[in-house]
Amino acid sequence: MKRNLCIAATFAVVLLALVLSQSYLERVAQAQSRAAVQAPRFEVDPFWPKALPNNWAIGSSIGVSVDAQDHVWMIHRPDTLLANETAGAGDSPTAACCKPAPPVLEFDPAGNLVNSWGGPGQGYEWPQSNHGITVDYKDNVWIGGNGTTVDNQILKFTKQGKFLMQIGRSRMSQGSNDTANLKGAAKLFIDKTANEVYVADGYGNKRVIVFDADTGAYKRHWGAYGNKPDDTNLGAYNPDSPPAQQFRSPVHCAELSNDRLLYVCDRPNDRIQVFTPEGKFIKEQIIAKRSLGDGSVWDIVFSKDPQQKYLFLADGKNEKIYVILRETLEILTSFGDGGRQPGQFFAVHSIASDSKGNLYTTETYEGKRIQKFVYKGLANVTKVDQGTPWPESK
Amino acid sequence: MKRRAVGLSAWIVVVLALFAVRKSTVTVTAQTRGAVQAPNLEVDPFWPKPLPNHWLLGSVTGVAVDAQDNVWIVHQGGSTLNARTEMGAATTPPTAEACCVPAPPVLKFDAAGNLLASFGGAGTGYSWPRLPQGITIDAKNSVWIGGTAAGTVEGPAGPPPEGDQPPRATGARGAAAAALARGRGGAAQGQRDAQVLKFTGDGKFVLQIGMPGKVDGPESSTTLSLPANIEFDAAANEVYVADRGNHRVVVFNADTGAYKRHWGAYGNKPEAADPPPYDPAAPAAKQFRAVSCVRIARDGFVYVCDRESNRVQVFQKDGKFVKEAVISKTTRGDGAVWDIAFSRDAQQRFMYVADGHDKTVLILNRDSLEVVTKFGTGGRQPGQFFGVGNIAVDSKGNVYTGETYEGKRVQKLAYKGLSNVTR
Repeated sequence: MKRNLCIAATFAVVLLALVLSQSYLERVAQAQSRAAVQAPRFEVDPFWPKALPNNWAIGSSIGVSVDAQDHVWMIHRPDTLLANETAGAGDSPTAACCKPAPPVLEFDPAGNLVNSWGGPGQGYEWPQSNHGITVDYKDNVWIGGNGTTVDNQILKFTKQGKFLMQIGRSRMSQGSNDTANLKGAAKLFIDKTANEVYVADGYGNKRVIVFDADTGAYKRHWGAYGNKPDDTNLGAYNPDSPPAQQFRSPVHCAELSNDRLLYVCDRPNDRIQVFTPEGKFIKEQIIAKRSLGDGSVWDIVFSKDPQQKYLFLADGKNEKIYVILRETLEILTSFGDGGRQPGQFFAVHSIASDSKGNLYTTETYEGKRIQKFVYKGLANVTKVDQGTPWPESK
Repeated sequence: MKRRAVGLSAWIVVVLALFAVRKSTVTVTAQTRGAVQAPNLEVDPFWPKPLPNHWLLGSVTGVAVDAQDNVWIVHQGGSTLNARTEMGAATTPPTAEACCVPAPPVLKFDAAGNLLASFGGAGTGYSWPRLPQGITIDAKNSVWIGGTAAGTVEGPAGPPPEGDQPPRATGARGAAAAALARGRGGAAQGQRDAQVLKFTGDGKFVLQIGMPGKVDGPESSTTLSLPANIEFDAAANEVYVADRGNHRVVVFNADTGAYKRHWGAYGNKPEAADPPPYDPAAPAAKQFRAVSCVRIARDGFVYVCDRESNRVQVFQKDGKFVKEAVISKTTRGDGAVWDIAFSRDAQQRFMYVADGHDKTVLILNRDSLEVVTKFGTGGRQPGQFFGVGNIAVDSKGNVYTGETYEGKRVQKLAYKGLSNVTR
């Protein structure tokens, strides 16, 4: 009897211990797996770039690119400056400040302005509304334009601003299956492997189109899901309707990864679509589905590790940058919020990365600035929405 | 040979010594020139802390510091925010999932930049201005607010509206900017702001002077027109109103709102008609163009911003004219003298002038009204400005600025002591 009691007690103790240790182990495992999610972390650098010379002011900033020397290139629209921002310009200035800066600005890594150029010239048609800038692997500078009626061309320059090539002609577009002209080209990507230029085309057309980067010869084009593009007006995006079988203008970016997947920003449709370089549809991901109007998927850049494990997505509608696991297209975290302080955004439009993993963003509409976000390594994800990415001490 | 070497070294020593003397002379000269000192300020890019709730500031049109060094601002909220691009989370239906929503008009921050309180907007018993402008915290911690929305007026034919308008775009972008402007919250229609309001520090309504749309001209003792800023005189328990549309300074009892006195430029009787647009070559206007501030120094002198005339006029408290200074003669457009704040030394040796059109802050010697130095230029980065129109100083000498139009922010410039002015 006593022995039985003893055995029973031992059993009870062992059982209890097992149960306790089990739940403890589960909790540890849960905590570990939760903590195991890591993502690149960033902090805004409020003092980058240096103040511009000559009382120059920046207009709506609609493109950014980093070259092989880690120089940061941006493009903006001088004619979006308000009258009181250009009060220092012209023959009869009313104030000491300011004058429009030239549209193309080149900064060194420290944020010093080292060169500037752009605007109409001989032998090419400068866009009415320039849009997007890309410095390619041969150090050439490509520019699009989103005046949909007028800007049916893209331009290629040397880094010094010498004109090299124009694809398409102003006002000549015949729509989304015209292989000679573009319509409101938003952004360009140059593929070193095939020496091809991918055009997110764009504000008027509903397609991706590819040309030879040296000759400008047409290669191929396609629409959403790899469909033949169709210019039928889709009306406004409705998050409760079935997914549109065509891109909704503007098609706002087309970026090729090292493993040769093309990521396309279908901006007002709030989605990323992924293709092979030949235009075969692979998958898609909806981002911030209830974003209407301007949409949520504005621009994409990949992380700088060889695997490009992450992609960073600029959302000018919700004023944040999403950090996305590229393989699954799952949002890991995000940073940024609306506002005029450092690390906040007004219509964050374009994004680029330097070789160290630092990010650069430009803001359109009344944002009118470029910002630098310093890469701080991988960190455990503690918040889905980090808000304004200030240094931890602040 | 050895002697020659010694001789040579002696020569070298002499030459070096001469150089040294010369260099020290240069140093002395620099010091003499550098004897002019001025407050040295550095922007704090991380002040204030980010607002909660995805709140966004509209055009910031007032900044004040209270006795506890809390910083108060007033901004114009949804009336100056673009429905499509800035208020996506506040529209019906919302067009954005996260951002943004107009912040309440009055915000109170502590010295560290934490948001402590917020209030403002329409309520019962008072008329909230359509475009609030100017904020002042009096010695009893009451909050005074003016307003400058142009609009319809009733009563005798008043001067044409001259309230704040959204800035215009230049070039081919005009149409697009106009379309964006149409997306604004609709402050373009309605009655003219012609009232000042007094609240307790926690937002309870206390007193209103004037009524929206009720404008009886610059001799009126009960009505205002576009009151742009307010100053409090604790010694006499009076409020001074920069009554922009009436081209005057007008003084009321701070408790009862009873009229005390008023005056125009040079202490003249103010006139209803607007002077002609500022012309640097023309003789000085005998009337105020746009009174945008009134500030009282510790020694009792009253400083008035005549914004579009680019000048500061100094008065006694009874309105007797003392002196004036044109701060930036060549500035036109919106003018150079938007707001004034005094340095925090006992003598208030310096005064800051916010120049929203040139996008800079001038530091003046208060006694001579000479510009000693300036800081800031146009731009969206920290320490740069767009329409810097309001300025205040805390007990430590730190400077706070508010930016109107598309500036839409408050900035802190940390006081770093006096330093030599280098030109």
